[in-house]
Amino acid sequence: MHYELCLGLFMPLLGFLGLMSFSQILGRRSANIIGCSTVFISFLCFASLLYTFSNPISLTLFQWIPVSGIDAGFTLYLDSLSLMMTLIITGVGFLIHVYSTGYMDHETDYARYFAFLNLFIFAMLLLVLAQNILLLFVGWEGVGLASYLLIGFWYTRPSAAQAATKAFVINRIGDWGLLTGILLTLVLFGTVDIVEISSRVTTEYARGAPILVLLCVLYFIGAIGKSAQLPLYTWLPDAMEGPTPVSALIHAATMVTAGVYLVVRMHPVFMMAPWALHLVGIVGGLTSLFAALCALAQTDLKRVLAYSTISQLGLMFLACGIGAFYAAMFHLMTHAFVKALLFLSAGIVVHMMHGTTEMAQMGGLAKIFKKTHWLFLIGVLALSGIPPLSAFFSKEMILEQEYLAGFYTLFYVGLTTSTLTAFYLTRAYCLTFLGPLKINNSSVKEGPPAMLIPVGLLALLSISGGFLGCCGSDAILEGFLEKSDISLPEIEPTTFFTPEAIMAMIGAFLGFGSAALIYTQYRDRLGNTIQVLKNSFYINEIYWNLFAKPLAAVSRFIDAMVEPKVFDGLIQGSVQVTQGTAQALQKMQSGQIRSYVAWIALGMVFLVIYLVL
Amino acid sequence: MDISLMIFISMAMFAVGVIGVLTKRNALIFFLSIELMLNAANLLFVTFAYHWGNMTGLVWVFFVLVVAAAEAAVGLALIINLFRSKQVVDVDQYNELRE
Repeated sequence: MHYELCLGLFMPLLGFLGLMSFSQILGRRSANIIGCSTVFISFLCFASLLYTFSNPISLTLFQWIPVSGIDAGFTLYLDSLSLMMTLIITGVGFLIHVYSTGYMDHETDYARYFAFLNLFIFAMLLLVLAQNILLLFVGWEGVGLASYLLIGFWYTRPSAAQAATKAFVINRIGDWGLLTGILLTLVLFGTVDIVEISSRVTTEYARGAPILVLLCVLYFIGAIGKSAQLPLYTWLPDAMEGPTPVSALIHAATMVTAGVYLVVRMHPVFMMAPWALHLVGIVGGLTSLFAALCALAQTDLKRVLAYSTISQLGLMFLACGIGAFYAAMFHLMTHAFVKALLFLSAGIVVHMMHGTTEMAQMGGLAKIFKKTHWLFLIGVLALSGIPPLSAFFSKEMILEQEYLAGFYTLFYVGLTTSTLTAFYLTRAYCLTFLGPLKINNSSVKEGPPAMLIPVGLLALLSISGGFLGCCGSDAILEGFLEKSDISLPEIEPTTFFTPEAIMAMIGAFLGFGSAALIYTQYRDRLGNTIQVLKNSFYINEIYWNLFAKPLAAVSRFIDAMVEPKVFDGLIQGSVQVTQGTAQALQKMQSGQIRSYVAWIALGMVFLVIYLVL
Repeated sequence: MDISLMIFISMAMFAVGVIGVLTKRNALIFFLSIELMLNAANLLFVTFAYHWGNMTGLVWVFFVLVVAAAEAAVGLALIINLFRSKQVVDVDQYNELRE
């Protein structure tokens, strides 16, 4: 038995149950300790597993659905891919838990918040550790639930409640795809075991078989929903209604990467269906460009970061699309560090500004947030792709693989996205921290150590994380993930300064420099932001008019016409028929003996006729 | 002997009994009509017992006679009790069981 594995998985669940059961009596301090320590123990367990890790571990805790043809067990599977994911989830998750103790210090519903965070960590661990897709689906729905609960944490705000509902409903569309994909898997393979499917798919099906393409597309629909890609991305910007640490943990660092994880986990199947992979790449590329354009004009600091997340997830899918799963995972890791850093340092500002997220009300905050603005700047530089910070390596690797694989259009899409990323992040930094100071309130001051220390650690990871996975073919992360058969399709270039790398660097510096110039020198002369980009091409409005309104109209029609006439009519009719028959039959029971006798005689006559005929 | 005549008489007796039950309101006539129907059946039993040379039908007649005698005792007692309650023997007056 692998006790570390079980302990690591179930500690957050215990934390959730404990916090939920005693939420009324737990004090602020004890809720802090329970919430953070469970995740920290979980992190230590997985760290010790990393130390002793050699071969994939498969651990069946019990038979879950022992039906022949499905035969799903509660089976955990720990290979290098899921181990890496668990370390990101619990590591970043722990830092965000610690940060939350500072961020939520004015909240009354303290234990509930930590309970939901622990529930999320548990569900996410279950998702990445599941050996069969059905168990993965349990985790998948679990993170969706936790996300719903946390977006709607301030449930008294109508906008938060609405955003939570929206996230839940749009995720259902994606879940439909995943669930249908699971059913199709059962039909095709007769099992839901991912390891078994991965080994059997290469021998049992021809490369590019249409049914496999369908299967992969269904899985990818699930991934689109969870990872907020086009056309199901609309829930993620609205999800910023939740507390900022939640945005950092769930809607940037971990949960939204579940879609990428699903594609990477199922990569043997995807590799057998090149058309599906192309679709993944194209959707990823389009989304990354689209979201980067939208991020250019956002006036809300958290929304800039939300669109940036969508854009970076698009880049990961772009990498998956050419089979560079290692590049996708590498970018997933660096993005988790950097985006958590950006969100959390933005969160310090938001928290100290009493909940304001509008950049128009900020400006010049570098004078007040002397440490935070450096941390935010590190995040901006890292995600912009300025060497030698972490996301530069991962992003450059994606672009390089794109180029080597010969997808030049997608390469230029990625390059444009990368340049735009540098531009909008620098814009956000300048609007928030530079320029004249706009607030005149002495209560706004630098965040407490409980918030600064985790952010500082994330900044260190953002600076150094890139060296884990790059610099030659003997990178630590690459060798580690190769154990799970996740690598790069092309031979890596021999020199480091390939033309693509130089182009990527020029793009990053160009975006950074132009934004820095425009938003420091000419900021007073800039007009309003471009409305079409700010409203993300009116996609929300289009969906509203295309789907929500007709649906509402149909519902109203049913409410006004079908409901009273058809359904009520059916019910009323059956009542009337019963009553009518009863009244008719009641007349027979007159109490008159002679009429009874007449009925008996009549019955006899019919009986005789029946018997004779 | 032609049994069709006897069957005809039996059916006629039964029909008279049924019509009596359906039309007469006096409980005694009602009762009498029932006896008439029983005896119509008895007549049929005897006829067929004679026709087939089988004694079973004759045995059944005795059964019916015994039951009819018992029934007469109970039935007359019922009628007397009904008369005591309402001073009439009109069966249409006794419809309290309707409720």
